[in-house]
Amino acid sequence: MGKKILVTLYRDEVAPRFDLCAEVLLVTVDATGHEVRRQDLVLAHSSADDLCDLILDREVAAVITGGIEEEHYHYLRWKRVEVVDGVAGLAAEALALYLRGELSPGAILFPRLGHD
Amino acid sequence: MDQNTLISLSGLDRADLPRILRELPFGVAVLDAERRTLFLNRALESLTGYNTADVAGVYCRHVLRGSFCLHDCPRQPQSGSCAPEACSEAREGTLVNRHRRKIPVRLTSLPVLDREGKLLCTLDVLEDLSALKDMETRLSVSASPGQMVGRCAVMEHLLRILPAVAQSDSSVLLTGESGTGKDLLAESLHRFSPRARESFVRVNATPMPEALLDAELFGQVEGPGGVPRPGKFQLAQNGTLYLSEIADMPLAQQGRLLRLLDEKAVVPAGGERPMHLNVRVVAASGRDPEEMVKAGLLREDLFHRLNAVRLHLPPLRERGEDINFLLAHYLKIFAAKFRKQVLGFSSEAEALLTSYDYPGNVRELRNMVEYAVMVCADEVIRPEHLPTHLRLPRPASMPHAAPAPLRGKPAGVHKPVRNKA
Repeated sequence: MGKKILVTLYRDEVAPRFDLCAEVLLVTVDATGHEVRRQDLVLAHSSADDLCDLILDREVAAVITGGIEEEHYHYLRWKRVEVVDGVAGLAAEALALYLRGELSPGAILFPRLGHD
Repeated sequence: MDQNTLISLSGLDRADLPRILRELPFGVAVLDAERRTLFLNRALESLTGYNTADVAGVYCRHVLRGSFCLHDCPRQPQSGSCAPEACSEAREGTLVNRHRRKIPVRLTSLPVLDREGKLLCTLDVLEDLSALKDMETRLSVSASPGQMVGRCAVMEHLLRILPAVAQSDSSVLLTGESGTGKDLLAESLHRFSPRARESFVRVNATPMPEALLDAELFGQVEGPGGVPRPGKFQLAQNGTLYLSEIADMPLAQQGRLLRLLDEKAVVPAGGERPMHLNVRVVAASGRDPEEMVKAGLLREDLFHRLNAVRLHLPPLRERGEDINFLLAHYLKIFAAKFRKQVLGFSSEAEALLTSYDYPGNVRELRNMVEYAVMVCADEVIRPEHLPTHLRLPRPASMPHAAPAPLRGKPAGVHKPVRNKA
C-alpha cells in the first residue's frame, strides 16, 4: 500500500517555517517506495491550521518541514502523521533521504563550515 | 583626530570581539554576505537552540527561522551602497526555535563595512520580546471591554463608540434598567481610558446618616485615631469614580459632587481647605433621570453636568437578536466552568427562552443559563432543566414585574421576542 509524503517548500528548499509555508510538494509513493505521483500545491495563504487540515484531508502519512510549533506538531502526531521537522536543506535531497529511511528530525543537509 | 588614531587609542584593533559578542545579553548572529551563519553568541544559541558549530555555513533563514526571513529578509547590499543607518532598520516578528517554541523577537540587522565601504559581514541582533509581549497581552486583556457582548445594532454601536468615549475625560451618565450591564459598562469605560492604571472606585450612596456619608465620600480631616481618613473621592484620585445610583445620593452630597465637577476640589468633613482632585465621574441610573429631576430627587444642575455624555443600555427585550447569541455565549462559559459537555438547547427549551421577556435583563438570562447548565445531565438543555417559572404558563393577569420604564419606552409592554431560528 502506498503513502503520501508532504514537503513544505520555500523555493527549492524545505520551508524553514511550517506556519509560513505557501507551497507544498505532495508525493505519493507505492509500497516499494517508488514515486507514483508528484504534485506542487500553491496555498491560498500561509496558515499552520489550514495546512494541518490539508494534510489530514489528503491523508498524508508523513510531513517533512523546518520549524513547526509544538501545538501543530503534537496535533499531527496525535492524528498519526509522521512529522520530520527541523530539516534544513534542499527539498529533493530531504525527500530522497526520507525514502531511503535516512532522514531524521533536525537534519541539516546544507554544507557546513568545519564539516566534511 | 582621525578614525585610525581613535581605534588605536581605544585598543579596539586588538579587541577580542568574539568574546565580547559572546557575552552580550541579547542574541547576535554574524552572517556573511550571502547571509550564511558564521557565529552565534551565547544568548542566541540559547534562543534558537543551535550551537555555532552545528549551523556554521547554513543560511540564517534555517537557523533563525524568523517570520521576517521569508517575506521581509533584511538582505544587505553587497557593497556599501546604502548608509548603514538606513540598512539597520529594526523589525519585529517571531522565530520558531529548535524546541518548537514560537518566540516574539525584534531583529536589527547591522551591516559591517570596511573603510572602503565594502560589506564585511552583517550583525543580526535579536531581542527576545516574550516578557514584553506577555505584559502587553495581560494589559490588553484587562483593557478589553470586560464582559460586554452584543450583536444587535444598538449594542454594536455602543461597543464601537465605547473606546472613543473612554478616551475623553467628560463625565458620563449611564442609563438602563437593572441587569442591563451599567456596572460593566462603567468598568469598561475605565479600563479603556488613559486612567486605566489608576483606581476604579464604586460608590453606592445607600441611605445612611448624612455626616457619615459625607465622611465616606469626601473623607475626614481627622478620622479615627486623629489621622486623616480618605473618602471615596480621594481614593479615586487620578482614576474613575463610579456612582452606581445617582438619585440615591442625598441632595446635600449632590451639591458637593457638583462642586467637585466644577472646581475639581472637595472639602473633607471637618476641614476648610479644599483638596484638589483629578477624578473622572461616571454616574448611573436605573430610572429616567429627567423624571427624577422633576420629582426633585436629582439636582437639575448636576444632571446637566453629568449628562455631558449619555449612554443608554437597552433592556434585553429590545435586543431580540441578542438573546440567542447571549444564550450561546453563557452556555459556553458555564459549560466550561462546570466542566460539562452541554452543547446546546433543545428546540422546546430555546422556544421558551427566546419568548420570555426577561424583566431582569441580561443578569436574569445569565442566571437561567447557569442554573440550566448546573442541573443538566445531558448534552442538550431541555425545558425540564429550566427554572420552573419559565415552564409554567403565565396567567394573563400576572405579567412580569418590570422596573419603572425610561422615558419614551411604553410602560408595561413586553414585546415577545421572536426566535431568529
